[in-house]
Amino acid sequence: MKYLLKVVAILSLFFVFACSSTDNGRNISDFTIPVNNFSKTVELLISNENFLEDEILKINSQNPSVQRIIKSADDYLKQKNYIAANSELERAFRITKMDGALYLRLAHLRYKQGLLKESESFAYKGLLLPDISSWERLLLNVYLKN
Amino acid sequence: MKFKLTISFIFGLVGLLIFTFFAALIAVIDYRVTSKLEGVLWTVPAKIYSRPLELAEGVNINSNNLIKELKMLSYKVERDPDSPGEFNFSQNTLNIFLRGYLDQKPGLFRVTFDDSKINNIKNQLGLSEDLIKLEPTVIGGMYPVHMEDRVLLNWPEVPQKLLETILAVEDQNFFNHYGVSLKSISRAFLKNIQAGEVEQGGSTITQQLAKSLFFSSEQTIRRKVMEAIASLLIEFHYSKEEILLAYINDVFLAQSGRRAIHGFGMGAQHFFGTSVNNLSIDQIALLVGMLKGPSLYNPERNPNNATKRRNLVLSILNKSNKISDSEFEDLRLRELGITPPNYRAEIKYPAFHDIVRLELQKNFADKDLRTKGLSIETNLDPVLQNSLENSLAKTKDQLIKKYGDKLNDLEGAAIAVDISNGEIKAAAGSTKPNSYGFNRAINAIRPIGSLVKPFIYLTALNNYDEYNLSTILDDSKLSLVSGGKVWEPDNFDKKFHGQVPLHVALWQSYNIASARLGIELGFEAVQGMFSDLGIEKEVPVYPSIFIGSFELSPLEAIQAYQTIAGDGFYTPLRSIRQIKDTKGEIELSYPYSIEQRIRPEPIALIKFAMQQSFVRGTARGYSKKQIDLWNAGGKTGTSDDQRDSWFVGFAGDILVLVWLGFDDNRQTPLTGRTGAFQVWKNFIDEIKPVTAPSTSLPRIQYVWTDLEDGLKSGEKCKNSLLVPFIKGTEPTLVPESRKRCSGRGKISESSVIDKLKQIFEGGQS
Repeated sequence: MKYLLKVVAILSLFFVFACSSTDNGRNISDFTIPVNNFSKTVELLISNENFLEDEILKINSQNPSVQRIIKSADDYLKQKNYIAANSELERAFRITKMDGALYLRLAHLRYKQGLLKESESFAYKGLLLPDISSWERLLLNVYLKN
Repeated sequence: MKFKLTISFIFGLVGLLIFTFFAALIAVIDYRVTSKLEGVLWTVPAKIYSRPLELAEGVNINSNNLIKELKMLSYKVERDPDSPGEFNFSQNTLNIFLRGYLDQKPGLFRVTFDDSKINNIKNQLGLSEDLIKLEPTVIGGMYPVHMEDRVLLNWPEVPQKLLETILAVEDQNFFNHYGVSLKSISRAFLKNIQAGEVEQGGSTITQQLAKSLFFSSEQTIRRKVMEAIASLLIEFHYSKEEILLAYINDVFLAQSGRRAIHGFGMGAQHFFGTSVNNLSIDQIALLVGMLKGPSLYNPERNPNNATKRRNLVLSILNKSNKISDSEFEDLRLRELGITPPNYRAEIKYPAFHDIVRLELQKNFADKDLRTKGLSIETNLDPVLQNSLENSLAKTKDQLIKKYGDKLNDLEGAAIAVDISNGEIKAAAGSTKPNSYGFNRAINAIRPIGSLVKPFIYLTALNNYDEYNLSTILDDSKLSLVSGGKVWEPDNFDKKFHGQVPLHVALWQSYNIASARLGIELGFEAVQGMFSDLGIEKEVPVYPSIFIGSFELSPLEAIQAYQTIAGDGFYTPLRSIRQIKDTKGEIELSYPYSIEQRIRPEPIALIKFAMQQSFVRGTARGYSKKQIDLWNAGGKTGTSDDQRDSWFVGFAGDILVLVWLGFDDNRQTPLTGRTGAFQVWKNFIDEIKPVTAPSTSLPRIQYVWTDLEDGLKSGEKCKNSLLVPFIKGTEPTLVPESRKRCSGRGKISESSVIDKLKQIFEGGQS
């Protein structure tokens, strides 16, 4: 019985360590965020462009000044005035350069403009931000798939 | 057949000739009237503006730089700001009376700071404002040959007070005459006799417009007749509102250098640094008063005359009940309040202006730039621009003191860009500020010296399964035949350093290690990296390019470094934000564009090595705390025989590149450290950049390594340094001699879980 308890304890410890990181620390060839790990349901939902846009527009900045500019950018985006939307997002970007909400919108805007490579680059740059939520991370990953 | 001259025939002939003459004269005047009023009058030169500074809650800003900018915009320090253009800064609080710009209304605002961060912004009612916008400064224009400068106003933009004042002073009967008014002439005559001085002119506004449009100021009957004909024709062709608007846009107000200031829109900007709808009544009175004699009543040259004339205009307004007695008493005692001349120079910052001009020429015809009234909003930060120019000049003075007069004609160039979005914030093309002519920032194409090394090392690090920062490079004697000649590169200290870790070779800037690495990687791989970084030139196939014989202009070089500083995202550098037409619609924008060219992890490694230049290499001199705070990194460069001194470095959100040298390419006594780095240092010390944005790279881990053999070490071991590695590429072998000191070494992943994990995985700590 003692022996069994020891085995269970060791196995539990292994389980904890295995859960603490999915990175084995030796695999240097894979640098992309594993998109396929997200649930298929969510993937299906975000494959709907309108839903995706709605979700992105729900994500806002913490900064009230940036919120105001983002609101104006979102209005332009809805009117399909992409140049003005971009101009507003760049204004916001000059105020804060570390906001996931801005990278998401820039990635989405470039996607709408047909600039897929740029869209992907903005998403990738957004993923380098230290403080973004998992939902922002998930949405940014969508643009890596372009 | 005999031709008989009769008197009636002669009269008829003369009559016909006179008629033809007058018809031709009227036709000519008519042509000139319509072509001028529909053509030249509406041609407005493109204006080039600095970026408008937006102050928003949460923004990091150096308050000293903000105050400098306010002073550059001719804001005056007042204890209690109560008029546009005044401010006060004390105890982390800025009280500012904005002049207003575009959608920013003028008014009093209070901005409170928490260190370098804006805490909150409140208007004069105590209500919070999200952001406020300062007006930009005009840095130049694209003027037509006639050099007339104006800001075109449309009818709704003309303030009622301006209309009332113009009509009260210049032509009270304007809406009731047909261009020429005998009544106006006689009334003006009587009024002037009563006043004992010239209060009013006899010419109608239409006549004045005709006069300013076509004719010289000579007082002849011939001119008066032509003026009268032109006035009648103007009245015939145009409505009263159109005539009045043309007058408001066309009247000559002042001469500023080669530039002629026309119209009230430009007059408001030129004399008061604001738009016409922000003018107070006394300011309007001053401008309207100047119409009578722009030179005689120029407020700068003849302030007494101007004050007297302004007060006369105010008294006319008072007599015609446009202002009350108390208003009159208050207004007439006010100072003229014109902005100092530095706000209105013709062209400032020629090197930056040059970059903008080249960019504009790609998309606009010269004629459009000189006539369409385009508004060009650039990325120029006037405070950084001034500091950059001053740093170049100041450093040159310091170097002359140190090395003597042989550096009298030392030249230089410097460019500062925003790392995050590629905006060019400042550019200088000479050590003499505001010097026109050869713009070295874009035209001095010189060997970049060791500035090339990070490109070579990055080529290696990007090949991360073969190279890391601890990879040992060979810095022993190299001798090879290139182009039929024996090529034997030297190190700056004329020594060989044997086997050295890659990062040490970079921050020590060893030439031979770099040349050997370049040769090992091959020209094709290096060319690939050059083009990923944004260098469009082909790499010449000779080995000396690996140690810096490769030539670039400062602008080309900083473009490549922008990709490094920007975490591997290539961002085309931009001097212009957007271009708007006269209606404020965006005609062309230069959007923020990025392309991921290099993975951020190898970039993090090269940035680390560049940071070591500051910690222990050729750019040492800053505290570790400061270097970490700014996430600073850089590289010095010195070309053959010290003909070129380079430095490129990033600190906070700014990347700055500096070149120093002689135009005739002769030798200097300078290295990258003793020359260009000093300019960089003077600049950065003055502007004090804000903290750098950080990135999250979970696949980077730090490991203590030895500075000589590059193998794993520990915090307690001598000669060890915490070095970043892409996970899976870090050295694992600990030499026997360091097993003891490294056993207790603190590693960066110091969590209990990681330590246990290492034990379970059997790794060495």
